[in-house]
Amino acid sequence: MDRLSAAVGRRALVGLVVGCVVFLIGPVVLTFVASFFESWAGVGPSGPLTLTHWAQALGLAETVGASRGLGTWVVDVPATGLAVRIPASLAFSVLLALGGVGVNLVVGIPIAYAVTRYEFAGRDWLNTVAVLPVVPGIVLGIAFLRTYPNLPSAVALVIGYSLLKAPYMVLAVQSSFESMDLRRLEETARSLGASWPRTVATVILPNAKRGILSGSIVCWTLAAAEFNFSYVVYSRGPKPFSLFLFENISNNPFQRAAAAVSIYFLIVAGVTALLRATGERGFSTGGVQ
Amino acid sequence: MAALDSEETGLRERAATTALPETERDRERRRIAVLSLPFLALATFGAFVPLVEMVRVSTSTSSFAVEGFTLSAYRELFASILAYLPVVGDAVVPGTDPVYGAVIWNSLWFGAATTVVSVAVGVGIAHALEKYDLPFEGAVVTLVSFPISLPGIVAAFMMIVLFGTTGVLSNAVAVLAGTSPDAVALTGQPSGSTKAILGLFFGYLYSMIPRATFLLRGTYAEVNEDAEAAARSLGASPWETFRYVTLPQIRPGVVGAVILTFRTALAIFGTVLVLKALSVITFRFDQEIQVGFDLPMASALATVFFAFTLLFTFAGLRFTDAEVAEA
Repeated sequence: MDRLSAAVGRRALVGLVVGCVVFLIGPVVLTFVASFFESWAGVGPSGPLTLTHWAQALGLAETVGASRGLGTWVVDVPATGLAVRIPASLAFSVLLALGGVGVNLVVGIPIAYAVTRYEFAGRDWLNTVAVLPVVPGIVLGIAFLRTYPNLPSAVALVIGYSLLKAPYMVLAVQSSFESMDLRRLEETARSLGASWPRTVATVILPNAKRGILSGSIVCWTLAAAEFNFSYVVYSRGPKPFSLFLFENISNNPFQRAAAAVSIYFLIVAGVTALLRATGERGFSTGGVQ
Repeated sequence: MAALDSEETGLRERAATTALPETERDRERRRIAVLSLPFLALATFGAFVPLVEMVRVSTSTSSFAVEGFTLSAYRELFASILAYLPVVGDAVVPGTDPVYGAVIWNSLWFGAATTVVSVAVGVGIAHALEKYDLPFEGAVVTLVSFPISLPGIVAAFMMIVLFGTTGVLSNAVAVLAGTSPDAVALTGQPSGSTKAILGLFFGYLYSMIPRATFLLRGTYAEVNEDAEAAARSLGASPWETFRYVTLPQIRPGVVGAVILTFRTALAIFGTVLVLKALSVITFRFDQEIQVGFDLPMASALATVFFAFTLLFTFAGLRFTDAEVAEA
């Protein structure tokens, strides 16, 4: 056993890491590559290269099941007689997720500050509730269905997104706060004559910028793809992005689904790059769905 | 009574001084209140009120309005759970449909199995990342964390890419074995068949391995490396060192990862909805609402599910002292 572990252990673990990376990333790369091919027959994608699937998924080209493309606004350009298609549904989803982030900024930063800076009764309890996604998305969705039946889908979705993703904001901001000597920063600013609100606005928040930024980015990405809650709660209006993905995956030919999913890969890849720029290595603040 | 009175005036006084502070301590209390208020408001109207309403719907006599009070949904649910038990079920509640019992059992065993595998793989990856000087370590961390941001429906699509009838692996295996890809594909098989469940198993792993790995990386960062070095220099093999020095140190982290990963497993919905391989609780919600429109039953099931997750998480985390913040 001993000699075996010395000889094989390291190699086995490195093999495990390589295997997992292939298992996790291989299909992502394949999907992306396949979305540019005409078809997939046999072991790999085949046929000539084409942008048709992307145009259809983005809603820039007419399709039979047009509703499964990202909905579009057709704008007539005056004088030229041309009609320009704008992927409006995508823009709407971007806004919905941004709304969730907006609520989380208002809700998450103060609570993160309160539990990091102050000692008070019920602090541990509040901290646990704030950093642990206590209600699963699908249960929250069922609860929302009956409680707020007349709430427009967009409002319900923003509330749900902010609730479900608040822990990620709180965790990210908290880790920034924890790396600062909050008490001393605050006391110094106060003793120099700044009021408490002014201290928070001009000293504390600017110092926590990195955490706030990475928290917002993570929240936004996760909200844009939040499916479980959206699926139960959505009733009418422009579709959120995750439902567009679902319809493509469950109803469309493989190639178009691949293009639709690839749109999201591009978003996540961009966001990962952004996160690295703020000093985070990928979605390390994310933990529980 | 007098004690109660004084407590009440004490509360009232505290509320008054919180609103109109006189001392620095009062001001601090007001700040805490102001800072906590937005979160509490969102939690109240976004989560607490809907959850209470959900419990009320589960006892409603009608599917379309909250009216009356009946425990029939719960009676049906628990009878069904009993009916699923072997031997006992037939004796206590003969003729009851064990469907909910089956659904709950499916969620539990499947969640447990995927959790054990994910955490074991997570320990391996975290160990390799932390202990070995691997090339491209930063890239590996980024790549392994990438799927955390992917929703369950995309995880399901990834399984179709790998194991579907047009999938790379199923086609490769079919070519090597000389059979048709349909025969070896794991997704697109009839629900409940071994192949379909195996496909779903990988779909769960796709979502859970990255999460487990990240929970465990936090734990590994705190391991005392001197003790490991001492064990090695005293002649312990790498396996012995891991077994007797590293593992006891990471045990609380492993237990915490098991609890939080199991929670994730129970809550996965999109993957099952796309692959339709096994009827778990979250999948049953969809059928109750979309097919049967049995809102009281869906709410009763959701209430039991929520209560279980909540109790399990808090009891588990308290019991192990695991760091919730690592989540």
